[in-house]
This record gives sequence, structure tokens and C-alpha cells, in this order.
Amino acid sequence: MSDQTLNRTTPLSTAAAAGMLLWISRTLLGSLVSYPLLLAIRGSGMTSGPDGDAVLFQPGSLLLLELLRVDAVGLAAAAQVSLLLLGLSAIFELIPLALALDWLWRPKRPLCERLSRGLSLFPRFLLLGVIALLVQAALMLAASLLGAAFKPVLASADERLRSIAPLALLGLGLIACGWFGGALDIARATLVRRGARAPSARAAFAHALLCLRAQPFRVLIGLYPSVAGSALGLLAAAWLLTRFVPASGSNVAIALSFGAHQLAMLFAIGWRVRWLGAALELSAEGD
Amino acid sequence: MRRITQDLLLGVVFSALSAGLLRALLLSPGALAAPAAPPLGAAPVWPASAESAVKVASYEIVAKFDGEHHRIEARETIHFVNRSSAVLNELWFHLYLNAFKNDKTLFLRSPFGAGRSGDKAKQYGYVDVKKLSVVDGDGQDLWLKRDRHSPDDPEDETDLRVPLEHPLEPGQTLDLSLEFEDQLPELVERTGFVDSFHFMGQWFPKLARLEPNGSFAHFAFHPQSEFYADFGDYDVTLDVPSAFQVGATGSKLSESASKGRTLLRYHAENVHDFAWTAWDRFEVRSERIAGVQVRLLYPPHQQQNADAELASVRFALPHFNARYGAYPYPTLTLVHPPEAASNAGGMEYPTLITTGGPWYSTFGGGHFIDVVTTHELGHQWFYGLLASNEHAEPFLDEGFNSYAEAEALEARFGAASVFGAFGQSVSSTALNRLFSAARGADEKVAQGAADFATFRSLGAIVYSRTATVLATIARVYGRDRVNHALGVYTRKFRFQHPTTADFLAVMQSELDERAVTALKLSFSERATVDYLVREISNAPLSAAAGVFDGPSGRQEKKPEAPHQAAEYASRVVVYRHGVLQLPVDIALGFEDGTKQLRHWDGGSFTFNVDNLGPSRLVSVNVDPEQRILLDDDRSNNWLSTRGDPAPHCRDGALYAAQILLGALGP
Repeated sequence: MSDQTLNRTTPLSTAAAAGMLLWISRTLLGSLVSYPLLLAIRGSGMTSGPDGDAVLFQPGSLLLLELLRVDAVGLAAAAQVSLLLLGLSAIFELIPLALALDWLWRPKRPLCERLSRGLSLFPRFLLLGVIALLVQAALMLAASLLGAAFKPVLASADERLRSIAPLALLGLGLIACGWFGGALDIARATLVRRGARAPSARAAFAHALLCLRAQPFRVLIGLYPSVAGSALGLLAAAWLLTRFVPASGSNVAIALSFGAHQLAMLFAIGWRVRWLGAALELSAEGD
Repeated sequence: MRRITQDLLLGVVFSALSAGLLRALLLSPGALAAPAAPPLGAAPVWPASAESAVKVASYEIVAKFDGEHHRIEARETIHFVNRSSAVLNELWFHLYLNAFKNDKTLFLRSPFGAGRSGDKAKQYGYVDVKKLSVVDGDGQDLWLKRDRHSPDDPEDETDLRVPLEHPLEPGQTLDLSLEFEDQLPELVERTGFVDSFHFMGQWFPKLARLEPNGSFAHFAFHPQSEFYADFGDYDVTLDVPSAFQVGATGSKLSESASKGRTLLRYHAENVHDFAWTAWDRFEVRSERIAGVQVRLLYPPHQQQNADAELASVRFALPHFNARYGAYPYPTLTLVHPPEAASNAGGMEYPTLITTGGPWYSTFGGGHFIDVVTTHELGHQWFYGLLASNEHAEPFLDEGFNSYAEAEALEARFGAASVFGAFGQSVSSTALNRLFSAARGADEKVAQGAADFATFRSLGAIVYSRTATVLATIARVYGRDRVNHALGVYTRKFRFQHPTTADFLAVMQSELDERAVTALKLSFSERATVDYLVREISNAPLSAAAGVFDGPSGRQEKKPEAPHQAAEYASRVVVYRHGVLQLPVDIALGFEDGTKQLRHWDGGSFTFNVDNLGPSRLVSVNVDPEQRILLDDDRSNNWLSTRGDPAPHCRDGALYAAQILLGALGP
């Protein structure tokens, strides 16, 4: 380890601060992304009744389907705007990510300095993201082409195998993408660790690939609790809400729903932060 | 190493918990248990119903099946009785299989993709009649004198007239002998083959239905149309390669094998069609349900679909028995075609129905298998026993059956009758209303299948609009009353060929005049309705102000500030657009939390809802129970001064955006 011996157990307060930073940015950007859709829903008139939008979630979905029918054009347009905002937000969220990584690496840095470092790393984070996106797209394309190539081979197989095989290949593609995403995080960690002496995005990426080659399973398995933990949080919130909180217009139901969703989000972010700490550690070990 | 082990363990635990939660979220409550059919009120009184049909055309067929070349050679004897009041000088034959003879037939030249079928067949099919003669006659081949094509359509040979040598008086019988050969097409419109799977629907020369006035209800086979035929008995002997499993209409009377071939004899009474299937890979399950021997043929590795199909029959058969009269046949055959032959799925024939769906249909909270199975089973009543003219009045079977299907599925699964998972549910009624509202007023409900502009239009109007009309009448005038009225109709016209007029006559005797008027207008006039509100007004009623001369002299009273008003005169005007007059409830909400429910008979075009009270009117909701499913636009049914009208959507949309950002971004 060249820069600093990493404390293997990141202090909880530091992790919490980094997590809160990611949650706040995701909430603000999420509000922005969802706003056009919300406006379209309100504009449809379907929520103008005394029960507001609770009617959309009544059993049977009669009025939810009515919303989709009466406001299909408005919702489609809003969804396009939201998608555009989602893409932009995903780019701008790289800044809070850089800040969170920096927080995990140097908890005591002054805020202005941290902000300045985060902003200065943004172009390289962006370039890394583009590289990763291209590689991940290529991986998924390869998985899809492989599935198509297998089709004639499986023509005589039973229906289950014919439909599962391409899905399994896509699943493998997703795992490979996740693995590659792990390398991306290590590259980001390398940039953050090096600070002023930060290498180019390409060099950081090369360093991350070296780490990946040195400890492939540690990267893959290190990511596993983060992904599975996120899924668990989301599913647990869904389960709790469907079992115990009816979608009524009451303030309590709305507060409980919001609370459960945000707790799930914090839970997922918590595991993400844990992995980011591990990525810093892996990056440092690779020096 | 310790870290890797720890991460792996955590991941596995999280994954296991996630899998458990996912399973709990995907399993809808209705999928777990099939409750008994709900009773239809207390001991309903039903009219007497026929035990059997008046038989007009009965068929004996001996067919030899060549699975390799997809051909059938057959001899057919038709026992025909002139039950009409007229002398007959001709017969009309349906040769439905000729619809797939070449690209110029009415069926194949019609635009594809928008019809019932998917792709056009790559291999054509046809039926060749070799000879038609009168049994015990002079041996003359009547087929030589047939018309060469369908009326007014030189390219089509699905509807052919054959002149008779001698007139057939009312009440006289005629036995006809035919020899024919089928070349099956690659599967199209439920008939044909895919690899070694074969489905034989409308595969034999068949007499058109003889109407009481002596006319034949004949028509060329149109891609949007289905069928219409007389009742009779069918006795069919099938000679098939022994490797094939066979499913067919009726009961199997005998089976014998010799030299690699199997001879199977089937018999069905009081039916109007005979269909069969043969495949060398069918798995078979049998079960006795509600006194009926149910046999299920399904592809290998589809046990879960098979379970779901049998579960559907276990619920729906007794349910329909109670609603529409007992299923009168000893057997029921279900056929689940393989995925490659999915076009053969979702069709009904007497005592034989086809279901369908990929092997994973039962996963994910959807009730696709239950929907298809229940729908096709319902056809045993709507068209099977009530053999209305599917060509001229398709809504009488498909529409009524869609209502019956939705009613049965909702009795079984509640609101999650189509889908139920993750706390959300979609009902058949909601889906029917969606399609009905989207296209329901485009065309008349009560018109011929071939008259609809497209099959999508037919689907939305014949299936969904009809079901939505019936569901609206049921919700407005009482489900029990409407279900009872339908039960009277199905029992009164069992083994008959009811028309729209027959149906309306029964409704006239069972329901209010206004309900019957609404049915007539909805089916025949494209009638619509839309209830709407535009604004709420509240006028404060203060104590009178001004200069008053009284016994004690002149007094001046100053106007009170609005917030000091003791009472408010509130008004909301409810409008009715469209000509359907349906009574409706109007829910009023006041600032102090009190609520009122007003009733409007819907007879006029506007209705002033006035209230004098201590609190302002802050909300109005027309049809709060969502009884009027025909309401064209539900988004204008209400007004409210509520602060945030969409808190759940705000929360859900934010959460979804956060998840997407987490997946896409850092």
C-alpha cells in the first residue's frame, strides 16, 4: 500500500456520512427525474377526486388502467422527459460518488477541498463510465448473439430449455457486467486515492484490471452482498407494504410507505458504501 | 480469505431471503386455494330446460389419418332431417378447410396480423369431396352438380350449394354418403399441423344450419368469423398410427390396435361439431370433476400448466353448472398444444377445448392459464349449448362468455383475476372496461363478425364491450338479478339457437324496463354515457343586512364577514353526456368531514345537487362505487379541493427513480 494503510473497518460515522451523501443526492435527483411523470399524472384528472391517487391502487386496477388510457399521450411524453433526466442525473451523480469515495478515504478533509477534488475528478469519472458502458453493452450483445447462435442447436430440445438457455446466457452477461462494474469502482477508487497525482482514466482503468486479474473472486464476491443486499431491501419493503399498509389516502399510510421505501434505499446504499470501502482497499492493495 | 467467506455468506443469506420474499410477493392469495362456487342467492327458481337437442344433422365418419403426409381419407354419412317449414330443393355445405387452399380464398386474401391467426401457413390445405350421393338412391353423384364457388366469390370454395334431385318435404329425412380427402395445412386458425402435432377442427364437409323457415345459414369462411351448425349425433371412427395420442369430441367407445395402427371410435350426442387432435408426444392426465370425466392432453414438462388447467376446471365446471345449467356430457377433453402450435390454443368445440401458453405461464402472478381455460370452458354453454349464430351475432357467445369468464374468475381470485403480485392486482372486469372504453363506441356490438373493420375492433367490442355492458347492468341493477336472468336465458335456450331477440325477451321478463332499454341501446345503437362534474360552488348565507323598519324603529344591520356565515348554499352540477340513462350515486364531502350520498336516476341531462348546511362542499365523486363501467371517461367524475392529489404516486415515482439511478449510476 503506497498512500496510506487502509483501516479495514471504516468508522461507522464515516460510512454513514458517505451513505447519507449518496442518499441525499439520489433523492434530489430522483425527485427531479420523477417530476414530469408526477405532473402528467396530476394533469390527467385521475387524482382530482376526494381520495386523491389512492384510487389508482385499488384492487383490480380499474382506475389505474383508466389513467393509462386517458393520459397515454401525456404519460408517454412525460416518460421520455423523465428518461432524459434520468440519463443526465446518472451523469451528475458521479460527483456525489466521488465525494463519497473521498469521504471514505480521507474522512477529515475540509468540505471545500473535498468538493473541489470531486469536481476535478468528474471528467475522468465520466470517461470511465463511458468506457464501462461500452464494454458492458458489448458483453450483453455478445450474450444475446450467443443465445441466437444456440437457437438452431436447441431446436429439437424441449420448450423449457429453448427459453431458459438464452435467459441463462443473458444472466451470465449480467454477472460479467457486474464484475466489470466492480473493476470500474476500483478504477474510481484509484483516482480518488491518488488525488492530485491521479492518473488518467485509462491508467486508472488499467490498474483496476490488474487488481481484477490478481483477485478476481474477491471482486466478484465483494460485490455480491451489495447487489443481494439491495435486492433484499427492495423486496422486504415491498413485502412489508403489501402485507401491512393498504394504499389508502390516509397520512399514516403515505408516511409508512415513504418511510419503508427510503429505509430500503438507505439499506441498499449502506451495502453499496461497504463495497466502495472494499474497492478502495483493493485499489490500494494493487499498488 | 476471511473477508471473501464473510461476503459470500452474506450474499447467500441475502439471496435466500430475497428468493423467499419474491415468492411471497408473486404468489397471489387466489392461487393458493380454489374456493367452492358461491351460491346464486337462495334456491333460485329455474325454467324447465330441454334434456336434448332437436337433431337436424347427424354424422357418421370413418377416417384414416396419415400423420407423415398430414392427410385424411374419410367416408361420411349424414343423416339429415328437414325440420323446417319449407320444401328444400338444395343443400349448402361448409368446406371450411378450403379456406387454406390458396392465397385467393376469402380467408387468406384478408389482411393478416389483425385477424385471429398469427402467420399465414407455408403449406396449404384443402378438402376434396370425391363423391356425394343419396344413400339407397340411384347412386348419382350430386357433387358434380354443385356450385363451383361460394356465392359471389369465384375465388372461394368454403360455402357451396348442392341442388337436390328431388325436393325434400318438411319432416322428411335424407341420408347422404360422402367420400372426401383432407390435406391439412400447416397450422393456421387452429387447424393443421406443426411437426407431428395435428389439430383437426372443421375438417369434414358439413351442412350449413337449416333455419326454421327453410333457409340455410351459410357463409364463406371469413377470418373474423366462427361457426354455426345444427345439433345432431356424431359417431366417428379414427384410424391413426399407434404412436399418436388422440383427443376428440365425445366419449371413446372402443379402441383396438393392429399392425402399428389404432382404431378409435368416438360418440357424441346433442352436439354440433366434432374436433380431434393427434400428437405422438402428449402427456395425459385424467380426473373426474363434478361427475364429468376430464381428460387433459399436454406437452411434456408442462406439469404446472396441467395443474393450473385442472384446478381451473375444478372450480369453473361446478360454478358454471350452478350459473347456467348442468354440463350435460359425460366427458370433457382439454388440449394444451405445444408452444410451436400455439395458434391451435384458445378454441372451443363441443366437449373439447384447447388452452395454451408457454411452460412458464403460471409463474409471476399472472393467471393466463386460468383465464384461457375458464373462457374456453364457458364456451361449452355459450355456443356449445346455446348454439347462436357466431357469424351473424358473435357477441351472443364471445361477449356473454367473456362476462361469464370474468364473473367466474373474480369469484375464484377476487380482484386479482388476471394478475396479482407485488400488492397490485388486475381484474378481468378492469381489462374489459379498458378495451371497451378505448374502442367500444367505434362500431355496433350487435353486428356480424365479418362486418367489423378489424379483428382488434371485434375483440374490443364483441368480447370486452359486451362483457362491460352486462357487468354495468349487473352492478347497477343487482348482480344476483342479472346472473339469475342469464341463468334463465341459458336454461330456456339450452340445445337451441337463440338470437338477440330471444335474449332481450328473457331480460324483459327478468329485469326493469330501463335495464332492458340500456341493453338494447348498448348492443344495437352504439349508445354511450359519460357522467361529469365541472365545478363546485359555495355561497355563504349571512344574516340579512341593510336598513330595516320595525316596530321598534329603524335598524341598520351591517353585512357579516364571510367567515362568520352560519350556513352555505352549496351546489354542484352533474352532467350526463350520451344517451344511456343509468342511475348513479353522487358522494359529497364537506369541509367539516361530513359526507352525504345522493342518488340521481340519470333520466335528465343535468342534475343540480344542492345543499344548505354549516360547512362548505369540498369534494364530489360521481359513481363512487364504480358501478357504471360504461362511463366513457372516469377522470371527469370528481372534483376536490384536496391539497396534494398524488402522494402515493410522488412516493412511488421517487422510489422508482432512486432504484433506476442506483442501477444505472454509481
